[in-house]
Amino acid sequence: MTLRPSFSAHRVYPYIPALLILAAAVPLGLKCGALWALGALALAGISVLTLCGLLRRQEPGPGQDWLLDEGLLQAQKVAAIGQLSAGVAHEINNPLAIIRQEAQWMQTLLQTDHFHGLEEVKELQDSLREIIQQVDRTKEITHNLLDFARKRQPVLQTVAINKLIEDMARLVENEARRKQIRIIRQFAPELPPIFSDAPQLRQVLLNILNNAVYAVRKDGAVTITTRPAGQEAVEILVHDTGPGIAPEDLPRIFDPFFTTKPPGQGTGLGLSICHGIVEKLGGRITAASQAGQGATFTIRLPLKAGQKTPGK
Amino acid sequence: MDNFKVMVVDDEQDFLETIIKRLKARKIEVAGAESGQRALDLLASQDFDVMILDVKMPGMDGIETLREVKKRKPLTEVIMLTGHASVESGIQGMQLGAFDYVMKPVALDELLEKMRQAYERKLIQEGKG
Repeated sequence: MTLRPSFSAHRVYPYIPALLILAAAVPLGLKCGALWALGALALAGISVLTLCGLLRRQEPGPGQDWLLDEGLLQAQKVAAIGQLSAGVAHEINNPLAIIRQEAQWMQTLLQTDHFHGLEEVKELQDSLREIIQQVDRTKEITHNLLDFARKRQPVLQTVAINKLIEDMARLVENEARRKQIRIIRQFAPELPPIFSDAPQLRQVLLNILNNAVYAVRKDGAVTITTRPAGQEAVEILVHDTGPGIAPEDLPRIFDPFFTTKPPGQGTGLGLSICHGIVEKLGGRITAASQAGQGATFTIRLPLKAGQKTPGK
Repeated sequence: MDNFKVMVVDDEQDFLETIIKRLKARKIEVAGAESGQRALDLLASQDFDVMILDVKMPGMDGIETLREVKKRKPLTEVIMLTGHASVESGIQGMQLGAFDYVMKPVALDELLEKMRQAYERKLIQEGKG
């Protein structure tokens, strides 16, 4: 348990999506016209308003002490941001659909005889194609946000953890091989089966392994270790020979929207989702890294999920 | 005895016919669909326990089909099958609620085992609901 008298930094993070939309208004205005810019401004406004409401509801009363478990804090943060982003994503989807439809209608009109032979037509067609492409890109993002927010109750079954990891390792191995990255297995031979949610664990493993390969980039290794941890748990360690995680990033890597990838390459939701899943299964995921020695992610899972329920 | 109902979705006719034949030989009730749209049509008229879904298909691809299936019949368990392992679409598939993401070729016995586990999961969820 940690005493957190104030956590002002955490009040800033939720506003990031709104700020991003706000920032997008300027280039949108320049490139696509004032109407787009106004739209973006309106969205940013909606986002901030929703958020204020949400955060106010969570505001502690005066004089109330905040004694929070790190995991609980993380879970609440994820839940709040999940709700907000789902709301915003949903709101954005409708205008997006209209924009796309109108652009397509304009494409159809441009094909009529009326416009035949006009030299600007080709340029207009290009612009419309670009608009539709960008709408589709935005739709992909909103879909991701909606997926992120959807809560899934774990379904518990017997899981042979080594087999599950091997399946996911093979999937990643194809891509890794092309980059001369070896996947090294160090599986404990007699690992007890665990009682957990297989598909959700696959999602976690695939994310972690994919991140590890991404971190190495080229020529290196990703080592997967499984081992029993006491009588009640198993541990999965994924170590990569990449550059490691900067000390200032380490405390934030499980935060939603935190990403070190270049813009457009990651939503910053992957690790946050993994964190949520593992916690819900009664486990714990941690990251460790030392400069120049790569990074290690450790996933600790109870033999029986649901024995403890953090962040309820 | 496996008494679950399976739909296999794949645009490759040869693959589809063979896997249906082999599953029927194992006494499994199975139907085939050669496109995502066809799969959704079939799903509208009857329920399936497990769906084997190819990732790469012309028109509506596997991911898009999965998204629709999970919207319309969320309890249907979907095992994604892929020819070219793409980690990106694997993550997307799992995130959308697929049961598993399996690379082709896969031994029928292994696929059957996964189908049994997927069906078990469906039974557990139905018991809950």
